[in-house]
Amino acid sequence: MRRNLAAARLAVLSQLEYRLNFTIDAVIQPTLSGVIEVTMWSAIIVGMGVDSLGGFTREYYLAYAIFATFVGRTTANWMYEFNMLDEIDTGKVNALLVRPISFYEFYLSQFIGYKLTVALASFVVPVAICYWFKAPMLIERLPLMLAVVFYYLIFAHTLSFCVACMAFYMNRANSITGLKNLAIWVLAGEMIPLDLYPEPARSILVHSPFASGVYVPVGFITGRFGYELVWQSLISVTAGIAVTGFIGSLMWARGVRSYTGTGA
Amino acid sequence: MSIVIETQQLSRVYKTYRRNEGGWNAIKGFFNRQTELKMALKPTTLSIEAGQIVGLVGANGAGKTTLLKILSGLIYPTAGEVRVLGYKPHERKAEFLRQISILLGQKAQLWWDLPAADSYNLLAAIYDIDLPRARKEWQELAERLGCAGQLNTQLRRLSLGERMKMEIIGSLLHRPKILYLDEPTIGLDVLAQNTIRTFLQEYVKLHQPTIILTSHYMDDISQLADRLLLIGQGEIAYDGTVANFVHHAEKNLKLDIKSEETDFEEVIHKYFAQESGRGTASRPVPT
Repeated sequence: MRRNLAAARLAVLSQLEYRLNFTIDAVIQPTLSGVIEVTMWSAIIVGMGVDSLGGFTREYYLAYAIFATFVGRTTANWMYEFNMLDEIDTGKVNALLVRPISFYEFYLSQFIGYKLTVALASFVVPVAICYWFKAPMLIERLPLMLAVVFYYLIFAHTLSFCVACMAFYMNRANSITGLKNLAIWVLAGEMIPLDLYPEPARSILVHSPFASGVYVPVGFITGRFGYELVWQSLISVTAGIAVTGFIGSLMWARGVRSYTGTGA
Repeated sequence: MSIVIETQQLSRVYKTYRRNEGGWNAIKGFFNRQTELKMALKPTTLSIEAGQIVGLVGANGAGKTTLLKILSGLIYPTAGEVRVLGYKPHERKAEFLRQISILLGQKAQLWWDLPAADSYNLLAAIYDIDLPRARKEWQELAERLGCAGQLNTQLRRLSLGERMKMEIIGSLLHRPKILYLDEPTIGLDVLAQNTIRTFLQEYVKLHQPTIILTSHYMDDISQLADRLLLIGQGEIAYDGTVANFVHHAEKNLKLDIKSEETDFEEVIHKYFAQESGRGTASRPVPT
C-alpha cells in the first residue's frame, strides 16, 4: 500500500509541475466540450420543436451533457496509456522491470492518483453549473457516483494495459489509443445517452462495462434512473476487469519473453 | 567465497525485422515481414563469486549488455540455465529484485519531471525502506558524490554528469548485493569519470557488493575490476585478471603485440580492431 500511495503521489507531483497542462486537462477542455454538447442538444430540441426527447426535457440534457464531459474526461485514459506504450516501445520500462513493483500496479497507482486530483479540481464545475441553471442533479448521490467512476478506472487502466502490451509486438502502436478512446466515447454514452440507442444496442451497451465510464454515473446523479443500474454496473465492470486482466496478463507474459530490453 | 552468479550454456538469440532499401521493398514489407535470427550471446558458462568486481569488456554488439540484461532479469535467455543469488532472474521474484540493481548509463531510470529527492522517496517506498533511513542514505551518498546541492533540482535540468550521479544514488539506495553497471561513465568528462570511479572504489570497500561492470573506458576496468571477462562475437574470449591479460593476448588471442605495447588499453584496442575485421558479433543463426 505504501508503494501505491508513493506512486500516486509521484503522479500528482509530476502533473503539478506543469500547471498550464493540468488546468487545460482538468477544467478548460471539459468545460469547452460541455458547452459544445449543451449547444448541440439545445439546437436538436429547439429544431425539432419539442419539449422533450426520449422522455427527458432540455434541462436533463443540459445536466447530462455537462456532467458527461467531465466524467468522460476523468474516465478516459490518454496520457498514461501513451506513457505505457512509449515505455515498452522505447525501453524505459527497464527501470520498472528490475524493481519489486509491477508495471501494471505502478501505472494503476499513478493513474488513480492523477485522476483523483483531476476529479477534485474539476467536479466543482458541473456541480456549480447545474446548481446555477437549476438543472436536475441529486447531489446526495455524488459520493456513490464518484465510487462508480473510480471503480471504472480500474477497468479503464486494465484495458490500457492490454493496449500497452501491444508495444511488445509492434512499434508505434499509439494509434490504437485514439481508436479505442473514440469507440469508448460512443459506447460509454458520452456522445449520446445510451437510452436513446435503438434496441438491442441499448440493452447491450447499458449492460456493458463501458456504460460505467459515463452513462451510469451521469444518469445516476442527474436522476435519469435509480440505484438498480448502479449495482448492475458494478457487476459488469468487475466482469470487464476479469476479462481484460486475463487478456492483459497473457499478452504481458508472452511479451516479456520476446522483449529485448530495448535501448540499453 | 560463495558463488552468487552461475550460468550453464546460457545463450540468447534475437529476432530482428529486416528490409532492403527502397519504396518497393517498403510496400512488400508492409504485407510480408522478413525476420532473421541473430545469436547475440553464444552458449556461455561462468560463475562469479560474492564480492568480486567483474569487468565485462567487448566491442559494440559483442554481447556484453545482453549478458547483463539476462543476469538482471530484464530479458529471457533463449537457452541454458542461469541462477543469480539462487533465483532465475527472468522470473523477477520480488525477493530477488530487492537484492539487485542495474544502472544503465544510456538510459535514465529516475523520473525526468521530478527532483531526484522525490524519485528517491518513491524508491524508498518500492523497496520498503524506512524513510528517515533512506533520506540519511541518499544525503550521505550525494555528499560523497558531490551533488548534494542538486537533490532538489528537476532531473531534466541537471547536466549529464550530475544526472549520472543521481542515477547511481538511486541504484544504491536499497544496498543491493549485486550491482550491474552498464557504462556508468559514458559521455562524462574526465573529472566526473574520476569522481565516479573513486566513489565506487570507496563504496565497494564499505559494502562489498558483487559488481558486474561494462565500460568502453578501460580506466574504469583497470582501476575497478579484479576480474576481466572479455567478450567477442557473443562468446567469452578471456576470463582472468587484468594484469595477466596482456600476456594472454599475445599468446592465445594471436595479437601482434610489439614489445613496447604493454599497456592494457592499447592491447584491448588492438583486440577490438582485430574483432571488427572479423565482422560483427551478432551472427545470423541458420534456420
